[in-house]
Amino acid sequence: MTRKLISERILEPGTGKGIELLRGQVLRIEQVEGNQCVDFNAFNLHDYKEFMHCGRTRTVHGFRPTAGHFLWSAPPRENAMLYFLADTVGRNDVLFPRCSAFLYESAYGFHDHTNCHDIQAEAQREYGLTPDDVHDSFNFFMWTEVQQDGTVAITRQNSRPGDHVELLALMDVLAVPNVCGADVMRTSNYGLKPVKLTVWEASDADLAAVPALPRLRSQRTPDQFRNATIKATRELRADPDYRPEFTNVPLREQPVEVSLSADEAAMLDRLARRDLYGGDDAQALRDILFAWWEARFLTAANGAPSMETDAV
Amino acid sequence: MSDPSPRPDPSPRKVTLRLNPQQLDLVDRTVARLGLADRPALVRLALAETDAAPAEARK
Repeated sequence: MTRKLISERILEPGTGKGIELLRGQVLRIEQVEGNQCVDFNAFNLHDYKEFMHCGRTRTVHGFRPTAGHFLWSAPPRENAMLYFLADTVGRNDVLFPRCSAFLYESAYGFHDHTNCHDIQAEAQREYGLTPDDVHDSFNFFMWTEVQQDGTVAITRQNSRPGDHVELLALMDVLAVPNVCGADVMRTSNYGLKPVKLTVWEASDADLAAVPALPRLRSQRTPDQFRNATIKATRELRADPDYRPEFTNVPLREQPVEVSLSADEAAMLDRLARRDLYGGDDAQALRDILFAWWEARFLTAANGAPSMETDAV
Repeated sequence: MSDPSPRPDPSPRKVTLRLNPQQLDLVDRTVARLGLADRPALVRLALAETDAAPAEARK
């Protein structure tokens, strides 16, 4: 099966559009004139509380996700919502949030200025969402860098007409791209340009390109929540009937006695992080044990979820 | 934490780790995965393999 065209549209500067992208459909976001950043939000079309999460995506794929990566939803769902099928430039950003009215007023003195938060909110309003529902955006074609001192910076980009990214929906989503509103920053080289959006039914080759992912118990659905009801009032009030049910609590430690030979004791003395644990052999040995486990068995970066898990 | 200097006493000794149930779960699954006899055997293996690893591999 080859790709079948579903829709095409031009997204004008200052605008965004919610697109119902069903599972198995491909969205291409394409440069018309070049050098235009495109901010992007995504929601589960059937449950807007599940949304694309830059933090999760950043942890798994790094600061510059590109083709071959996934766009993940937030915990406790943590589903691969979209597969990043193609990227002709290879520079995107998940460090910066969307720009906002506050940014332009505080830093530039504008009372009203195009900004990605408000553009997203206006596009999402078509589906009954509110400005509070806009979440951190995946910023396509945006060039950013982490400085030595830990701060982040925006640099100019060099995308050309025809450059594009393609996203394959792995679930039904509301995909919301918008033309970034930053015309007085480097994000889009100090200009606002249109971009082209195309939706296809995926080809067999598109579908076959998606790597297999494990399905784990920890990828929860609302029917597993202790409170699955979406709160409909703004004020927060404590529930008098609330009784905490934290996982695995109380966490009581148990002793594990380990006899070390003279050679093993010498190893411990060589390896022990005395700078952290002083003369406490137990803490030093526990550190060695779990650091060894990470080095030997982890298939993901330290602290990142794994896509190759053998958990059952 | 008190003494930051290395211990100068490499004689046989007993060390009592204190592990919570989650840590013990991982330890026990790894003991089974590697076919080891018990928890102390895993700790000793971790110690030996860490000691044998290049210093730059230790984090």
